[in-house]
Amino acid sequence: MPMNLLWIHCGGCGGDTWSLFNAFSPPIDALFKALNITLLWHPSISDTDISERQRLFDELLQGDRPLDILCVEGSIIRGPRGTGLFDTVMGKPKKDLVASLSRRAAYILAVGTCASFGGIGAGDEIEATGMQFLKWDKGGFLGADFTSRGGLPVINLPGCPCHYDVISGVLSALVLGSPIDLTEYNSPAEWYNVMVHQGCTRNEYHEYRVEDWHFGGKGCLFFHLGCHGPLAHGPCNKLLWHRRSSKTRVGVPCFGCTRPDFPQPYPFFETRNIEGIPIELPEGINRAHYMAYKGMAAAAAPPRLKTRKTGI
Amino acid sequence: MTVKKKKIIALNRVEGDLEIHIELEGQVVSEARSVGTMYRGFENIMVGRAPLDGLVITPRICGICSTAHLYAAVKALDMICGVHVPDNARRIRNVAQMVEQLQNDMRHAFVLFMPDLANPAYREQPFFDEAVARYRPLAGRTTVESIRQTRDILGIIAMLGGQWPHSSFMVPGGVVSMPSPAEIAQCRYLLKNFRDWYEGRVLGCRLERWLDIGSRAELMAWLEASHSHRDSEVGFFIRCCETLGLDGIGRGCGNFISFGRLDTPENSDATPEGGRTYYSPAGFYADSQVTPLQQEEIREDLSHAWFQDRGGPAHPFEGDTIPYATGSEGEKYSWAKAPRYKHRPAETGPLAEMLVSANPLFRDLVEGRGASVFVRQLARMTRGAVLIPVLERYLREMTGDRGAFYQEPARIEEGQGAGLIEAPRGALGHWVQVRKSRIVRYQIITPTAWNGSPRDAHSRRGPWEEALVGTPVRSPDHPVEVYHVVRSFDPCLVCTVHTADVRKTIQL
Repeated sequence: MPMNLLWIHCGGCGGDTWSLFNAFSPPIDALFKALNITLLWHPSISDTDISERQRLFDELLQGDRPLDILCVEGSIIRGPRGTGLFDTVMGKPKKDLVASLSRRAAYILAVGTCASFGGIGAGDEIEATGMQFLKWDKGGFLGADFTSRGGLPVINLPGCPCHYDVISGVLSALVLGSPIDLTEYNSPAEWYNVMVHQGCTRNEYHEYRVEDWHFGGKGCLFFHLGCHGPLAHGPCNKLLWHRRSSKTRVGVPCFGCTRPDFPQPYPFFETRNIEGIPIELPEGINRAHYMAYKGMAAAAAPPRLKTRKTGI
Repeated sequence: MTVKKKKIIALNRVEGDLEIHIELEGQVVSEARSVGTMYRGFENIMVGRAPLDGLVITPRICGICSTAHLYAAVKALDMICGVHVPDNARRIRNVAQMVEQLQNDMRHAFVLFMPDLANPAYREQPFFDEAVARYRPLAGRTTVESIRQTRDILGIIAMLGGQWPHSSFMVPGGVVSMPSPAEIAQCRYLLKNFRDWYEGRVLGCRLERWLDIGSRAELMAWLEASHSHRDSEVGFFIRCCETLGLDGIGRGCGNFISFGRLDTPENSDATPEGGRTYYSPAGFYADSQVTPLQQEEIREDLSHAWFQDRGGPAHPFEGDTIPYATGSEGEKYSWAKAPRYKHRPAETGPLAEMLVSANPLFRDLVEGRGASVFVRQLARMTRGAVLIPVLERYLREMTGDRGAFYQEPARIEEGQGAGLIEAPRGALGHWVQVRKSRIVRYQIITPTAWNGSPRDAHSRRGPWEEALVGTPVRSPDHPVEVYHVVRSFDPCLVCTVHTADVRKTIQL
């Protein structure tokens, strides 16, 4: 039996969908065929008329047709005052539709940071939340104890946008029945147990604490320009974008867009620090040791790095 | 006596969701309301944040035109700090912006718009089988080709900006990246591949041949001149429009606004005649006349939008966004505000750009039979012919010029700036005010806010509301004419930030 898939778009920008359009292997036009997935409906792709769509939703909600995979893109908008009227479909809050579909689905993927953790608008007037987390806290829209019909919590695929290979990789695992090892934030460890920093071409600069104060340089962006590469989990520099590059490689600091607190409440493009050492250090690091290590590393930095005479 | 019926149409395959409330008299649309169904609160999220945060947050407004939002955001900041942006930075910004437009135009055409020609309502039409073969979702020949071609051309933005969508590689004073000559060569190669496909599949002729067409008569002569013209996507589209009469529906309001294309480098072959800042000027077109844009004449009217109205229409430097959810109370029916230029609604997008820049073909088409689904969509599908040569020049110039990509600006503490650009869907503006190094006001007007605006205090309809009135609907179960009219504007509902999704409804 082929599995089927329904894609719902809530409080988001559509960027995860357009990321998936950039997939190479397989490209999106071949993806569903390759995995033997029946695409029931996707808001940017399907050519169904309204009446057909309504029939499909009725069948799914009444349980006349099983729903295997529900992909949710965008946050669940609960405002104002819990009514959900900031995001409606045919006059009714969209959050109610998502709740009903969630009870029917065997597996649920929260695609992107907004669906995973609330993202843009979490904690703001629109009262956005993720499917099963609100920022760092478990619970979110469906509650901490929720499991879908297939016995799993909502699988979070954060990133703004989510990398296309992550989406197709998780779909493959579900179809093939491969085990999915999840992190404490219910994200697949394969892609979220690596730091964005891993694979960055500026790593040698980072190693010797050769840091940039201004844009347009070759040095590391962690100490002064707000880069979250060593602080955020995500596959940017493992998978690369368009198989070519990443923000940190071209000199854009990582903004930690996979993190539950994205967008962070403090300014981007600058690093909060004490005595020139970042306040937030890589997970599990002893501050005194780190300061000693970075001091020695800076002293050991070779001239070719100090003078930025390398490629990146 | 004619029976009046109401119908709500919910439309997918637009960027975001859209509801349009339609009234039919017999088989003709007699009234239309465009309903924004989502409020995302972006402008208020920006208040109190650091000035540069707009570069990270506002691209997230839209997953298909995030580079456009980045460009508008950075231009507003450039203005506040009064920095001189080096030529190579301008080239990189423009290249990225134009590549995103190529992507958008082709995905809109072959993923979102053309599949309507394969709607069951057209089962008896002579073109139907061919339309299915070309545009079936994820399977039609052209749809599949366009997905892969747009993916590949976006590789240019991945090289210059690290990723697409949602990078923040433009900063006040320039760009952060310094692409090497080898990377520029790669960009040129990607563009060449795209051009070959665009000429072969979409136009059916060389760009230069297409740009020679200066009138409706020449367009029809071009169509008949060769099999490759007739068989191309543009040729097939023209033939379908003739069969369906799509040059007779979706006229709209007759006013057009364009914010003009891009800051040109000071030393560039791509600088237009007369040395204007934009090679496609900013302007307003109405009654066959273009007048230069005066951005201070823009107002947003809240009379029919679910926002508190404090003293009538306001310029974005004075406007607020205070959501006021009332359900269906009174006249308010949308989460989109109604932007007006000199008190008039205005259409924006590729057609507006063509008219304001005095493109002879589109001037002739509009001044003849008026705007329509056909003309609007033709402008979008063929905009690439205008963009690609400029892109080629910028990339070629960067191969030799290794000048600066970034100029360190002054720290942003106080001031206000307006970033007005021509986004894929038309006029996009960010208006930013900063006090004591914090944003105190951030107002955004998106192209879809112009095109999909609700009524204003004088009950004047927004452009696509106006375009819908008078549209015949042959089969209410498959109101494909309504789809054509609305999709010809390339609606982007995630962008309507105060912003709304518009979920479209026809009630019967």
